Amino acid sequence: MIVAEQKPLEEIRRMIAPYERVLILGCGTCMTVCDAGGEREVSFLHNALRLAQTRSGNGSHTFSEYTVKRQCDLEFLDLIVDRVGDVDAILSLGCGIGVQAIAERFPDIPALPGVNTSFMGASKEWGVWDERCAACGDCRLAETAGICPITRCTKGILNGPCAGTKNGKCEANKDMDCAWILIYKRLERLGQLEKMRRYYPPRNFRAIPRPKRIVSKASIGVGENDG
Amino acid sequence: MGNSNIKNYQASRVKEPSYGHGFTPPCQAACPLHMNISEYIDLVAQGKVMEALQVIRDGNPFPSICAYVCTHPCEDACRRGQVDKPIAIRALKRFAVEFGGDRMIQLEAETTQTEKVAIVGSGPAGLACAYYLRKLGYPVTIFEAHSEMGGMLRVGIPQYRLPREVLDTEVQRLTQMGIEIRTNTRVVSLELLFDMGYKAVFITIGAHQSLRMGIEGEESPGVIDGATFLHEVNLGLKPSLEGTVAVVGGGNVAIDAARTAVRLGANKVGILYRRSRTEMPADPTEVEQALEEGLEIMFLVAPTRIKRKNGRLSVTCVRMELGEPDASGRRRPVPIKESAFTKEIDTLIAAIGQAPQTPGDFHLRVGRGSTIQVDPVTLSTNQTGVFAGGDAVTGPATVVEALAAGRLAASRIDDYLQHRYPLVDKEEQESLIGDLLPKTVEMIKKTGRLEPPIVSPEARTRDFKPVELIYDWEAAVNEARRCLRCGMGAEILFQDKCATCLTCLRVCPYHVPYLDDSGTIQIPPDQCQACGICVAECPAKAIVLRKPYDRRHITEELEHALKSAAESKFKPFIVGFCCQYGLFGTGALASLWRGAKAGIWIVPVLCIAKVEADHILRAFEMGAEGVFIAGCGEQCAREDTAFWVRQRVEKVRKILVQIGLESERLQTFVLDTTNEDPAKELDRFAERIGGFYLASLIMQEVKS
Amino acid sequence: MANSLFEEKLYSNEFLVTTEIGPPKGVDTSEMVHHIDLLKDKVDAINVTDNQSSVMRFPSLGGCLLVKERGGEPIFQVTCRDRNRLAIQADLLLAYSRGIRNVLCLTGDSIDVGDHKEAKPVFDLDSVQLLRMIKTMESGKDMGSNELKGAPQFCLGASVHPEADFIEPQLIKFEKKVAAGAQFFQTQGIFDLGSLRRFMQYASQFNVKILAGIIVLASARMAQYMNNNVPGIIVSQATIDELSTAEKGKGLQKGIEIAVRLIKTIREENLCHGVHIMAVGNEKIVPDILEVAQPVGMHP
Repeated sequence: MIVAEQKPLEEIRRMIAPYERVLILGCGTCMTVCDAGGEREVSFLHNALRLAQTRSGNGSHTFSEYTVKRQCDLEFLDLIVDRVGDVDAILSLGCGIGVQAIAERFPDIPALPGVNTSFMGASKEWGVWDERCAACGDCRLAETAGICPITRCTKGILNGPCAGTKNGKCEANKDMDCAWILIYKRLERLGQLEKMRRYYPPRNFRAIPRPKRIVSKASIGVGENDG
Repeated sequence: MGNSNIKNYQASRVKEPSYGHGFTPPCQAACPLHMNISEYIDLVAQGKVMEALQVIRDGNPFPSICAYVCTHPCEDACRRGQVDKPIAIRALKRFAVEFGGDRMIQLEAETTQTEKVAIVGSGPAGLACAYYLRKLGYPVTIFEAHSEMGGMLRVGIPQYRLPREVLDTEVQRLTQMGIEIRTNTRVVSLELLFDMGYKAVFITIGAHQSLRMGIEGEESPGVIDGATFLHEVNLGLKPSLEGTVAVVGGGNVAIDAARTAVRLGANKVGILYRRSRTEMPADPTEVEQALEEGLEIMFLVAPTRIKRKNGRLSVTCVRMELGEPDASGRRRPVPIKESAFTKEIDTLIAAIGQAPQTPGDFHLRVGRGSTIQVDPVTLSTNQTGVFAGGDAVTGPATVVEALAAGRLAASRIDDYLQHRYPLVDKEEQESLIGDLLPKTVEMIKKTGRLEPPIVSPEARTRDFKPVELIYDWEAAVNEARRCLRCGMGAEILFQDKCATCLTCLRVCPYHVPYLDDSGTIQIPPDQCQACGICVAECPAKAIVLRKPYDRRHITEELEHALKSAAESKFKPFIVGFCCQYGLFGTGALASLWRGAKAGIWIVPVLCIAKVEADHILRAFEMGAEGVFIAGCGEQCAREDTAFWVRQRVEKVRKILVQIGLESERLQTFVLDTTNEDPAKELDRFAERIGGFYLASLIMQEVKS
Repeated sequence: MANSLFEEKLYSNEFLVTTEIGPPKGVDTSEMVHHIDLLKDKVDAINVTDNQSSVMRFPSLGGCLLVKERGGEPIFQVTCRDRNRLAIQADLLLAYSRGIRNVLCLTGDSIDVGDHKEAKPVFDLDSVQLLRMIKTMESGKDMGSNELKGAPQFCLGASVHPEADFIEPQLIKFEKKVAAGAQFFQTQGIFDLGSLRRFMQYASQFNVKILAGIIVLASARMAQYMNNNVPGIIVSQATIDELSTAEKGKGLQKGIEIAVRLIKTIREENLCHGVHIMAVGNEKIVPDILEVAQPVGMHP
């Protein structure tokens, strides 16, 4: 899941300051799951902005709210064409992909990000999300017993733990497990410790050059026959 | 993707959300009158007795009678029994009847039809039929052979169970409605009634004829049948009983007779029953109270012969054992050879059952057990225009079944008189039938059933005053709060909005939502405890409570309070979300409610778990300088409610701070976390809000 | 044929002594030069730390140049935190050309413990990959498989953590470093000789030299601080307790006492091949330690 966090209210207020009519647009997929930008958060932000406006006495925005199933596909944005006719800015609670899609679909309306898209991760318990994947484009989870050293090791190193690991925790954040200790334990459990003894050469940081693109469709020339 | 595709897609998307459907809870399904029990129980829990009484009266014209003597099939079906003990619905109904001012209620009706209807018999079926027909505008006459109205209610049920005054009040009200009552009038011929101008007749003569034991010496003096015995007592004739009394039988009549005998002064009263305790048809509570009053019950014993000897009765009894089941499904008692023994007693009361006694002159077709035969749909007998219902048709049954029969008969008689095709009512809602799973039961707080206060056995056997007293407020509310709200829980109304984020699954204290095989979240209606937590936490707002009232309640109450606050122009004002159940159910929360001074506007909520962050923000937006949420703490009938409210409070506090408001403007008062008087805490809170308000006014002055 | 004076000493069976100097945060290198002068003749080599604990400082390469200038034997500490493979290779070419031939290959502390917490952590390589990369350069090619116009040769070292609580992963990595080309190891701070002995039992099968890291602590509070905040340092409770017995103001002396005791024991029992003294800001007391500890083979 893409996980994000809503921006602080002050930052959002500064962002929307120049615009009078603002549509707060939520996203019904990842942002709902991580509770940063679904319908409930849209409503909450709407109420908070109105309260801020009333209390401070300045700012004369008119807000509208809506949530689409996803923002990252233009077809979903086609569904809100009628709602953006008289809007000065769209405050999107979708991830960065969504905000950019909105900017592309409605090039004459400023698209503002209401959340900070943070990572790809999962949640084991309510209210806590952990980063799990860095989208490195060169997945090596087979070598590390299903634990990603690039995401879960703060240095992203590949040949075993650094000297900073203490009590199985990371030097950078004592609440975080040292990924390499986790990997070691699980490889031992699987009887695959020799995978840790191998030398892993430096990563290809440009596995897919940024901005990345994956093309899954085959290109077939016009008038070509089989065989 | 062409434009047409988009339009088609949009068109298919535009659909109104489905209404959200409820289920009939087991209590309502079990009640012959199909009363909206969960509704009035919830109103009692909220302390709204008058509204509760209204709901009761909607389904039952004589709630005070049922409040005393109903056999409560609802309680037997109550699923709370799967957790600890069923809700004491009947006792709560009595609470609502008494405290809701049933006595004050006047009835009236006007005559809009010309067809007269005669009702033969003034038992519960007759009374109910009269009531409903009168409401429909018909002139109604009730004929009662006895000197007093009520049928079995009058002559069968002892006064320590149903006081005279209660019955008299109900009969009085019928007179107020314009129903003609003719007591001491035995109907001997139905033709005569039609000659007198009645267009329809409802026969509801009950089942008063005692069954004979069929043993030698049954006719001896000193042997009396149960129905006659109770009849005499209830009509004021006081047969004196001395010495030892034995009652034969195991039903409610037998118990009633026995307990009456105790109150009349018999030295020793015992019951002989031919089967064992588990097969005894009498109400278990009655049996227990009888035992407390000193009655002895001998099980698996039956009399075989009675002889009068020296002014006393010598009764030969034989012991029984249980053999194969008989037609009723209960195991047949079989005499044990050579087990005969004799007992010397003074009076024997035979109460082994009753049957209707239909006059031959009525020319009605009579069937098994001497019961009148009727068409199951029209309730008509073999004679046109003559209908029958109640014990006369079913054999001895319960008061509530008779009331239901009377109500149905009224509508069938109306159909007949208006030449309408009698349509059978279709069931609208599914009944909730599933049992609670152990994992759900595990999480439900087990509080045990609060029984209404009972007079001590020594005190109560002295006279015929009522045995059972009424709850006090706190007990009634806390007993009513035990209701699990079957079938009124949460459902995912907007399945397309659900992102399967698993929040509902994770936050539910009862572990109710689950992922089915196709990876869709299901919230089984028979497990949901209707706490409202998942509804408030769902990030997609896809979950609602099934009862439409529950959904809009807080918003309506909040808007109402805000409007009042705005009109009063009192500043600063504070909005407090207070649990309505706690108002009467917990002494401390009540003191907070009542201690709220001017400028504090209470928004009653049906459990604080339903208060969402949006509600709090709205209160602040509409001018509240402070907001608090007050909940029941330990006494909350649901789990984890305070925890979730606090999560939302923390979230709103962060926003307050960012807006430049003090986070202390938002407080939770949850009773278990403080030993202080909440009213005092509220005062302090109000003071602090006053301080903030003044400070902000000064700041504004300074700025301008 | 040794690539440096230090490498010669490595293969000489002498008891080795190295120490480290932390460069200044700024361009005023006078104190550093003073320390270099103080120590250059008393130890076999001087490490210059490289933005140690992720705190920005005058670079190791610059410090090593100064050591060389003043006549000492430098060990160039290279961390992977701040520079990518191009920058590191380039720096190594420069280092070699200026006679800096000893390299200690480290992964580097994480950005979070330092004073530029918003900086981008590079970690293009880790310590093992760094060792391999240098070996590749030594063979005349860079990491892009391009021919080098003149290949450098180095004496390579790495670090190891014998007192780690999960020891096996450290040993696995140690072996990888040996296989990648490390010739000497300077350990993280040793406080418990038992763990050193156990480690040496295992490490002695490899043809590498181990120098035990000795940290000179100045007080119990400093020990606690390092325990909680400095990566790679686990001060034993016994040591902290011993430090707290010192009178006020005499903490450093206690720390020196402990250091000396450790060095003496290591020397006398021949536990490993040498010591690496880390005075952490108190560089000036290193000569005193050396005097008292009097390891054989020390320069007068």
